[in-house]
Amino acid sequence: MKQIEAQRNILDFTLSSLFRRKGKNTALVLVYTLIVFLLASVMFFTHAIRNEAALTLKDAPEMVVQKLMAGRQDLMPLEYLEKIRAVRGVSSVKGRLWGYYFDPYFGVNYTLMVPGNEQIKPGTIVTGEGISKNRAVEQGDFQAFRAYNNNTLLFQITRVLSSESALLTSDLILMSEQDFRSIFGMPRTHVTDIVLTVKNPRELGTIANKIVQLLPDTRPIMRDEILRTYDSVFNWRGGLLIVILSVSVFCFVIFAWDKASGLGAEERREIGILKAIGWETSDIILMKFWEGVVVSLSAFLLGILLAYAHIFFFSSLLFGPVMKGWSVLYPEFRLVPFIDAYQISTLFFLTVLPYTVATIIPSWRAATIDPDLIMRS
Amino acid sequence: MIKSLEVGKVFNMNRPNQFIALNGISVEIPAQRLTVLKGPSGSGKTTLLSILGCMARPTSGRVMLKEEEITSLPERFLAEIRRQTYGFIFQQFNLIRGITAIENIMLPAYPTGEKRTVLKKRAAGLLEIFGLENKAEASIEWLSGGETQRVAIARALMNDPAIIIADEPTAHLDTKLSQEFMDIMQKLKAEGRTLIIASHDPVVYGSAFVDKVIEMRDGAITDSGAKA
Repeated sequence: MKQIEAQRNILDFTLSSLFRRKGKNTALVLVYTLIVFLLASVMFFTHAIRNEAALTLKDAPEMVVQKLMAGRQDLMPLEYLEKIRAVRGVSSVKGRLWGYYFDPYFGVNYTLMVPGNEQIKPGTIVTGEGISKNRAVEQGDFQAFRAYNNNTLLFQITRVLSSESALLTSDLILMSEQDFRSIFGMPRTHVTDIVLTVKNPRELGTIANKIVQLLPDTRPIMRDEILRTYDSVFNWRGGLLIVILSVSVFCFVIFAWDKASGLGAEERREIGILKAIGWETSDIILMKFWEGVVVSLSAFLLGILLAYAHIFFFSSLLFGPVMKGWSVLYPEFRLVPFIDAYQISTLFFLTVLPYTVATIIPSWRAATIDPDLIMRS
Repeated sequence: MIKSLEVGKVFNMNRPNQFIALNGISVEIPAQRLTVLKGPSGSGKTTLLSILGCMARPTSGRVMLKEEEITSLPERFLAEIRRQTYGFIFQQFNLIRGITAIENIMLPAYPTGEKRTVLKKRAAGLLEIFGLENKAEASIEWLSGGETQRVAIARALMNDPAIIIADEPTAHLDTKLSQEFMDIMQKLKAEGRTLIIASHDPVVYGSAFVDKVIEMRDGAITDSGAKA
């Protein structure tokens, strides 16, 4: 009980000590918070967007088959569709029509696609939210597209896709097969690629091998591979940002080390006074420990909260463009809050722990000297 | 009560700037009496006071407190003796700036683990004794010289110590405040406390109630005995 009271008394004194050095400690907490905020933002964003991508791709086809020509993707002849359908284990096969359209006026690329599960009337389109915002158009408006042969085609927007699915649909335009072929001049005998489902997902690898043997100029891509690609793209971007941030982290380390470890003359004097009036070395270390904990923990919690708000409520305002960059048209969307205990603890051990240790060591050194030095000051 | 036996203190030993501060000092500080260590600057008064007050260890010799040898005790025990047995009044008073008078007074008692409410009550009582009850929440920087001095004395009394050690307590005070200080010391002596003051101020060593004056010069005792 006495021990707890002693701890409380020392903690009380620590808090009033921190308050005495308001300027120094506020600056320290602010810089510290900023660093935790930046690091936590990158972590939250990377994890949340990977999670989002995984959720979005959950309904994606198990396998996509592309035709290759000289190592590049080529149009897929329709007769390949029948050959793949005949492969044992394949349950359904569909040809897809999709491609990119460059809008010279806005300097951006759109993804044009013929949806497999809904019929779109010729002469109409469904657009993603990003396009609708970018071109300032809405449902009922008309949009002109320049075809491969320089003809201008006019389409009426019948619907704008909701922002919930904005990660993959922001730059998407859905249209009828007839219109798609008219814009790109794609022959009726070909599709862009083929998607298929299998009866037993465990046989995915075997079926992919069979397809390659049957049609050596094709490339099967499995859903897991797409997920892995997304994963590595976002990990890579997150890593890149961390590398850039590491410069600021390094500056902070120098700053924090200087502030935390360099005991000023006034602090040394105080440690001397406390020792002289009967504080033990362990009491002084305890006081400095609390000091480190209060500064670093409050900065840590503040940084995490700010990062949470930044990523999940303010759509990653600060570095969203670097992290997202999905295509030229940045999707604007809100991520679903997703926090991993492992991430938080990693950040905790990388920030709170070193700072606390940095505060204790010099105080321990100062606290072990004879208190009579204070008699001579 | 406190005895030093052949105590020596050498600073920067075996270095070119080696300095002998104390040279075989043997003194006896009687209990419940006021003893003054008198001597010019550099005579070794403060060093001897530090050693008697368990703040520094002698290079040679021994110190006995109530017949118990304390020189070789580990730092933890010395801190406990400083906390429980001694109350210190420093030359510059050494109060902690930025916190209130009452907090300064409570500081020596924080590690004892007593309840904060109990400590606050005791500190408030001390402030009242010294007529500073309305200064409890005042920051140290805003106190006058006399008030600062009384807060420093109150802090020294917080753990109700048997021995009060004061190092040049009147060095920065005018004659009136010096006299006030000595009046307080007289009261503390009357309460049965042992007082050791290092000073070369005549107001201190010339006081009528000083029991013993130990004169020092160049790290040695030149005269020691009951005051005439």
